[in-house]
Amino acid sequence: MTKYLWFKIIAIVCIVAILVAICIIEDRLVVSSLEEVDNFCFEIEQVAQENGIVDGQVASLVDNLEYRWTENEEKMCFMINHKSIEQIGIEIVRLKTYIDEEEPIEFFVSLKIIQHYCETFQHFMGASFHNIL
Amino acid sequence: MLTIVVRAIIIYVVVLFLYRLMGKRQLGQMQPFELVLTLIIADLATIPMAEVSVPVLHGIVPLLTLVIVHFVLTFLCKISNRFAWFLSGKPVIVINPNGIDYKALKNLNISVDDVFEAIRGCGYFSIEQIQYAIMETNGKMSVMPKSQFAPVTVGDMKFDVEKSAIPVNIINEGKIVKENLQIAGIEENDIKNILLQAKIKKVKDVLILTVDKNGQVYIQKFYDKYQTLQIQKLGRVQE
Repeated sequence: MTKYLWFKIIAIVCIVAILVAICIIEDRLVVSSLEEVDNFCFEIEQVAQENGIVDGQVASLVDNLEYRWTENEEKMCFMINHKSIEQIGIEIVRLKTYIDEEEPIEFFVSLKIIQHYCETFQHFMGASFHNIL
Repeated sequence: MLTIVVRAIIIYVVVLFLYRLMGKRQLGQMQPFELVLTLIIADLATIPMAEVSVPVLHGIVPLLTLVIVHFVLTFLCKISNRFAWFLSGKPVIVINPNGIDYKALKNLNISVDDVFEAIRGCGYFSIEQIQYAIMETNGKMSVMPKSQFAPVTVGDMKFDVEKSAIPVNIINEGKIVKENLQIAGIEENDIKNILLQAKIKKVKDVLILTVDKNGQVYIQKFYDKYQTLQIQKLGRVQE
């Protein structure tokens, strides 16, 4: 075999490896990030139902959620269209505003929107026959 | 804007690398599946360039996937003629000794005008001159003329001629191409002699200097007419 042929074979193997790695990393990243957001939302919802939304623990949890989401979003933007995930960030900012303005109904609506988004996003991003078609 | 500039450079480099990996075929020599690949690649490459919210990976991943598909198809074509025929079709004889094969034209979905255009492109202006014309799988027409219309070759004339040799570039735009000196079997002193013969003072005045195995030298100064010289035959210029 010539050097060029070897180079080609190595390049193909590398490309396949890169593709596999990208698919796995993307899947893991999306699942873990959205699960984390979902868990945060569940926790915030419980605390907010017990203590009301104007509460130090709720504010702290929302801050944590924002911080973690910003971190995850930065990583996800390497692989996912930014427009597809920006809605979560917008809703988190709304959560903070609703706490300041003491609007519990809108607060819980926003939480539900984030949770719904986390669930549906995994549905339409995952590799399934439905999504492929 | 800087993002777009950097993205454009990244995608350009990736596409260039992928095309080098796929081979050196010209657009006109492509098989149908290669043409499809080229069109898709061109389209895919522009998406992340124009849309900043789309990650560069969204452009690169489909490109890499298509290249893998290309390699698989090429490999299958190599190991199976049937698959190659299925994918690229077979060469079809459109002109035979009986004339134009209209059935073949209909199958290929081309007109008589297209055939005329193709044979004119091969240097023949009458169908009468053609023994066979074959439509290749890449869309090019190959023509075999009738023997009475074929160009005369040196072999036909039975002349005893020297074997042709590939000229080697010795000076290119005022610079000696050192790696070619060894191929040509000459030294830098020989270049000085050639320049002396050509009445040129310095190497940097020479636009181009080539030498072939028969000792034929082609030399041209910048902004001047070329000269040809004959020097002693050289041993190592490739035939």
